[in-house]
Amino acid sequence: MLRKLFNCTAILSVILLFSACAGNSSKDKTDGSDFSLSDSAINENAPLQLSEDIIGEVIQNISSPVEMASLIKKSGVDFSQKILNNPDKVGDYNTSFKRALNLGVFSADLGYINTFDKSTIVVSYLLSVKELAEGIKVGQFFDFAALKRMASNSSNLDSLMEVSVSSFNKMDAYLRSQNRSHVSTLIVTGAWVEGLYIANSVIKETRNPELINRIGEQKDIIDILLIILGNYSHDKNFAEMVTRMEQVKQAYAGVKITTEFGEPKRIERDGTLIIVQDEISHVEITPEQVDNIIAEISSLRDFIVL
Amino acid sequence: MKKILAIALLLVSVVYTTIDAQCGDDLLKKALKEMGDSQYMKDFNVDLTNVSKDTKTGYIKFSVILNSRTHYKFNTTDGLGNSEKVIMQLYDGDKMMASNYDSGKMYQSFEFVCRKSKVYNLVFSYQGGAEGCSKAVMSMVKQYAEGEMNF
Repeated sequence: MLRKLFNCTAILSVILLFSACAGNSSKDKTDGSDFSLSDSAINENAPLQLSEDIIGEVIQNISSPVEMASLIKKSGVDFSQKILNNPDKVGDYNTSFKRALNLGVFSADLGYINTFDKSTIVVSYLLSVKELAEGIKVGQFFDFAALKRMASNSSNLDSLMEVSVSSFNKMDAYLRSQNRSHVSTLIVTGAWVEGLYIANSVIKETRNPELINRIGEQKDIIDILLIILGNYSHDKNFAEMVTRMEQVKQAYAGVKITTEFGEPKRIERDGTLIIVQDEISHVEITPEQVDNIIAEISSLRDFIVL
Repeated sequence: MKKILAIALLLVSVVYTTIDAQCGDDLLKKALKEMGDSQYMKDFNVDLTNVSKDTKTGYIKFSVILNSRTHYKFNTTDGLGNSEKVIMQLYDGDKMMASNYDSGKMYQSFEFVCRKSKVYNLVFSYQGGAEGCSKAVMSMVKQYAEGEMNF
């Protein structure tokens, strides 16, 4: 009896294990051949300067668009849908390059919509994410039925945010594990540009100093993006992105970031340990520099979404 | 035979559920619950296994960008089978900025008020090089205006 039970359990376990592995391997075949832009990006004649591991690590260093959205909400400005990308355009993005970039754009838009609790329009943006994610074979990380159910109930908006962020994190980890960091690179770039574009739209109206400070701090991020985009610049689409990103870098040339040292602090409050950093950074940026950055980001964003 | 198959199925599902509760999505759910009211940003999967008995203390490192004038929270949840709690340390280069193991006391989380935007490293390990799995969540507690940073 025990022996039979053991055998049955072992057989079932093996079947489950193999069914899980089979699922992954079939995905691998589809993913590798479908992504047209990668044909030149990963071909053997054009070796990558940076390994997939390093690129993955670098990608993790790009700020979440949620932070920018939260800063915008804190500025007190009203929500504006007209500054976001239009879900009707999704069907026009018919290359993997455009789909990946705009998946990033719509993820930033989704972060902005969720931060402002706009449940009425969130479904159309979720559907855009679904279509774009499926277009580059990463739709499996988004449980759209569950997301849609959550979106229909305003009390579930925190959960919706959690599931959305978690889905993007899983998708990014998967892409890197499949040596598809070039796709992650585009998604992250799209999200970064859209986050800045939304912030810039608010700055144009309000000249909010906190947002201007955050825009100035992005100077260091441009170098990171240039490193990872440049890694694939033997592909003409990536080369075009690098050229355009160089123009944004030029607009940032005069922005200064300085550091002063203060006192580190250790506070224990209600059983929680809080550490306050001793280094303090300051951004020096002129109104003209802000205007130049806004113009360059707007031009780059047009290239991505139009 | 049917009874045996049913028991076997039950056993397999129990094993799978336990594995998930130990190291999978259930552990992440628990970590997200313990995150509290702050805004979820990112999660980290810690799964350390000793390859050989004489391996030195194992660790896993993630790099994260933190923004100035932002108050972050880092909380951890350990797998049920762990013999040790996970130690989480935040580094700026070689300099340790914060840890959940501080002055001989183990905390479930720590908070960090960042005043300089840059890349930091988050390092996870278990005391004595023990094996284990844990989830950690990075979340945002608050963003400060320039005049609000007086602690």
